[in-house]
Amino acid sequence: MFKAIRHYVQQSWLLLVSAFVFGLLLALANTAWSPRVQQNKKDKLNGLMKSLITDANRFEIVCEDVQVDIGRGKIVKTDVYKAVGADGNDAGFCFRAEGMGFADKIELVIGVDAAFERIAGYSVLASNETPGFGDRIKGDYFRRQFAGAPVMKLGLSKSGDACKIDNEVIAISGATVSSTAVVNVFNNYLEQVKERLKQKGLVR
Amino acid sequence: MADRTMTALDAVKGGLWTELPVLRLLLGMCPTLAVTTAVKPALTMGLSVLFVLFCSNIVVSFMRKLLKPHLRILMFTLTIATFVTIADLFLRAFVPRMSEMLGPYVPLIIVNCIIIARAEACASKNGIFVSAVDAISMGIGFTVVLCILAAVREMLAVGTVWDIPVLWKGFVPWAAMRMPVGAFITLGLMIGLVNFMTKTKAN
Repeated sequence: MFKAIRHYVQQSWLLLVSAFVFGLLLALANTAWSPRVQQNKKDKLNGLMKSLITDANRFEIVCEDVQVDIGRGKIVKTDVYKAVGADGNDAGFCFRAEGMGFADKIELVIGVDAAFERIAGYSVLASNETPGFGDRIKGDYFRRQFAGAPVMKLGLSKSGDACKIDNEVIAISGATVSSTAVVNVFNNYLEQVKERLKQKGLVR
Repeated sequence: MADRTMTALDAVKGGLWTELPVLRLLLGMCPTLAVTTAVKPALTMGLSVLFVLFCSNIVVSFMRKLLKPHLRILMFTLTIATFVTIADLFLRAFVPRMSEMLGPYVPLIIVNCIIIARAEACASKNGIFVSAVDAISMGIGFTVVLCILAAVREMLAVGTVWDIPVLWKGFVPWAAMRMPVGAFITLGLMIGLVNFMTKTKAN
């Protein structure tokens, strides 16, 4: 018995000591830098929300962990932020949203007006879509079509007038999958988030 | 394992020319092809690899006489993973934009063949000084190649280098240079050029 333990310790002591020392090193680095990492994430989200609702002075969470069914039985949670203007009035709502893109998950920040009737726009929080094609979901041509569109089921067309703002979005040429993914994200989230806010009496 | 199989001068020559990791040994292809769409992410990746290579080479060299042959690779991976996690945390804390641009390629440094290869071929057989010199020269060689590749791609794909416009007004960007095909073609030309220079010198 002791012989086996001794053999085990002789063989693995360096690995055990190293694992302990490296673990300690990682814990120190994480303790020192994680507040800054969290702050960076908050700043980025606030910056994107501010770019969507320019009247906002500050953002406060009004609905935590709203469950959204994003299809195929997958439920995700999101926090809904209320944008408060400089005069203290509601300026709109923002929330994070996600869906599957062409290459990977697409994460968006979606903004809507205070009555939850018109879309204020969206910004891309994270995506790995194909450079030159799918990543044009970050560009103005596609994003502009959502700003001012009604909060209702959105459709996607391959051709049409991209300047006309309605519930029909014109796809990016050569990036139909990415365009569809963004429209699906809107269709999944808008209705379910609005329903939750209605339940809480935040919108009519 | 016998010590002092190479000198510091061998390490410098190897890292910067005779064993140039990307162009001669064809190691580290994943980040080379993936993050060279612009110079800034390429430089960040190069410096991250340099940091991890330097730290892991020193640690591996320090404990080389204690390493059991069957635990060797496990110890290398543990060491490399620790420093990669530190580099990743640092980038997320202080250079968040670059961290986002590099995405999963920073954590993937753990399986970068250059680092494991140098731990095995150099650090586990040489003293701390030679291992450190080897790490610095290999890291610089890798970073310089990445930056040159990225500069060519960024210039032809967007018309800028380091976000500064360098081509004439009205230049039509080559979208293909931003995509993998651009990376493969540029890398192939660079490898061809290095082989041509070596052959010419030998003749």
